[in-house]
Amino acid sequence: MGGYAGKMLYIDLTSGSIEKKPLDLSFARTYIGGMGFGTQIYLDLIKGNPGFDPLSPANPFVLMTGPLTGIKMDAVARWTMGAKSPLTGFWGEANTGGFFGAYLKFAGYDGIILTGAAKSPVYIFINDDQVEIRNAGKYWGKDTYDTNDQMLEDHKPEAKGPGQVICIGPAGEKGIRFASIINNKGHAAGRTGMGAVWGSKNLKAIYAAGSGQVEIAHPDKLKELKEELKTVYEESIFIDALRSSGTPAHIDVGILGGDIPIKNWQMNQWELIDAIGPGAIEEKIFAGHKTCYGCGVACKKEAQVKEGPFKIEKGPSPEYETIATFGTMCLNSDIESIAKANDLCNRYGMDTITCGATIAFAIECFENGLITEKDTDGLKLTWGNSEAIVAVCEKIGKKEGFGQVLAEGSAAAAKKIGKNASDFLTTVKGLEAPMHDPRGAHGYGLAYGVSPRGACHEASLNFNVEGGAQIIPEIEALAAQYEELSSEKRAELNVACQDYGMFFSSCALFCNLGAVPLNATQAVAMVNHVTGFDYSIDEVVAIGRKVWYMKRGLTNLFGARAQDDRLPKRLMTAIEDGPTAGSVPDMDKMLKEFYELRGFNADGVPKKETLEQLGLNDLAGLLYA
Amino acid sequence: MGLFESSEKFEEVLVGFFKLVADTPEVANKLLESKLIIRFSYTDPDLVLVVDCSGDKIDIRPRDTETKAIVEMSMNADIAHKFWFGKVNLTMALTRKQMIAKGPIPKILKLLPAIKPTYEMYPKYLEEHGYSQYNVY
Repeated sequence: MGGYAGKMLYIDLTSGSIEKKPLDLSFARTYIGGMGFGTQIYLDLIKGNPGFDPLSPANPFVLMTGPLTGIKMDAVARWTMGAKSPLTGFWGEANTGGFFGAYLKFAGYDGIILTGAAKSPVYIFINDDQVEIRNAGKYWGKDTYDTNDQMLEDHKPEAKGPGQVICIGPAGEKGIRFASIINNKGHAAGRTGMGAVWGSKNLKAIYAAGSGQVEIAHPDKLKELKEELKTVYEESIFIDALRSSGTPAHIDVGILGGDIPIKNWQMNQWELIDAIGPGAIEEKIFAGHKTCYGCGVACKKEAQVKEGPFKIEKGPSPEYETIATFGTMCLNSDIESIAKANDLCNRYGMDTITCGATIAFAIECFENGLITEKDTDGLKLTWGNSEAIVAVCEKIGKKEGFGQVLAEGSAAAAKKIGKNASDFLTTVKGLEAPMHDPRGAHGYGLAYGVSPRGACHEASLNFNVEGGAQIIPEIEALAAQYEELSSEKRAELNVACQDYGMFFSSCALFCNLGAVPLNATQAVAMVNHVTGFDYSIDEVVAIGRKVWYMKRGLTNLFGARAQDDRLPKRLMTAIEDGPTAGSVPDMDKMLKEFYELRGFNADGVPKKETLEQLGLNDLAGLLYA
Repeated sequence: MGLFESSEKFEEVLVGFFKLVADTPEVANKLLESKLIIRFSYTDPDLVLVVDCSGDKIDIRPRDTETKAIVEMSMNADIAHKFWFGKVNLTMALTRKQMIAKGPIPKILKLLPAIKPTYEMYPKYLEEHGYSQYNVY
């Protein structure tokens, strides 16, 4: 079996039972990996009772790799995780890179399915065939950096080779609803609060070490493809930009077209933007390059602040999304403070997008008198007050004082603050929108609206394609060039981006950044050479479509309806000047067309016959019971 | 045929604009810091133009095909024109090879913040210099 490790780990934390089940080859052929596997397994586990609290033992948790995870190629070190989200109440998932996925496969497992909850803090120790649930008392309370370092040190003597750790920090332990799970300090499974699900299960970490390797079905063909891709990568200016500046390169480019939300989405231009751009990063905080397993793109960077109030040791540098949420969104032009906020989020284990966006929301509440220093523990939460931004970030991580209010996410905080606080929200389905403005690219609006996990630019390939970084010549809708500041044909574009995108990234195959230069022929060939399967482009698109309906169906099963597909008022309010002046997406038009193309009813739920035609009878049965 | 009726006209408009940029310290100083020599090769109509930032002041040299440039930029004249209005999705134009950039990408990216103010200058320049027929975006 090429590409797959061949086993799944089923661990029930309540009973302590550990089962190793063989991966069924026809299941692998049908669903590829990642959330192709994860959504099917998850649905099977919750069939009887989908109405559970996400922070209860009834919420299963799936962690899946893909068939390419662990091979030495660019941009394939992916793994995904999913569960009901404690932030949104809908299907939640996070997709990341780093090293853990590869090491899990070296230990012999394609995925882990967790159920129940432990009575006291535990971690899972995986060392090839040896799998144990162990007492995590000594790690509980520690931040993710200390947990990572300590756990690696502690297990050196008994592991067969070097290991990798994924863990939660104090945020996950305390049930902060946007807590993340972190690998190797800087690789975050950030969105939708998967770390809080672990915290509710008393699960601190998983350690994996293994002596195996990923078998390649057709190594010669893969070698040939690798040669072909060398030129493709050498010629890609996008890859060059990633290599040199990482994702923050988007600050210089995104500002030109009005893509970057500023002052909690009220502006699209800012005279201080260069103070937090790639030039400032290089000058003030840059400390080195890093990468994910086997990837030569090396888009990850390291940062260090040697002195001053925002001093941090050398560690992961803020990504573009983090720089925007803690920077432009808060009118904060101090790059060192952003590096500090990033460091805090990583250490406490919190999603930087939700955390920064929630702070920007709180600043707007403060500036408008909805909250005062009495509410914020004396902090002057004003635009650009970098010290207050960092201080409130830490309060959230500790879940103390005003941090307790914001630790629930901005939508819940708006309810608590009351008055017109909800006017300042930027959430869809309770998830704070990422840092790409749909007023400049209308299809993003539809993508955020209908995404199963809430506002997200990575929930399909729409951001890559409509934003211009990726073209898939073999698929008409993904090759076309779209008229700017228009909502025309965005429904067709979104459908195509979802179907191909589920295959491309959600099945834990490719990185949405580093794999941008690949066309569909190359992407499918890589999967075929590694697995030995004979997928066609049409077939992987059909699989992707099925995976998308599974995710959407889960979110519908958890209660999402048409009104949840709408953008918040703030994102639907035009900005008067700048590159996107006067532009807002036509959500009525796009949603109507999208529902028709996807075979939805007026409630925003896939029709029974739509699901049955796709062979998703179990899902249809549950939605139409 | 593109927006510009001849190479001569395109050269007149573009060189005039680049000279204005060269005389605008807010932009020019940052470009000079880059020390780059950039050759722009345009088509429809054809034009080659070198913008030399390696000295004390920016030197604009139309039809210079001899100088060894550090950065080579190739594009259609209409795309170039639209770019100076700030109306080109740069990522898309580069991905689709509507603009081709060769040279040290980090250094090219560093130019972007420097040239941002020129987007406001270009339409004003066209209007003030009798080129209002080209002020179309």
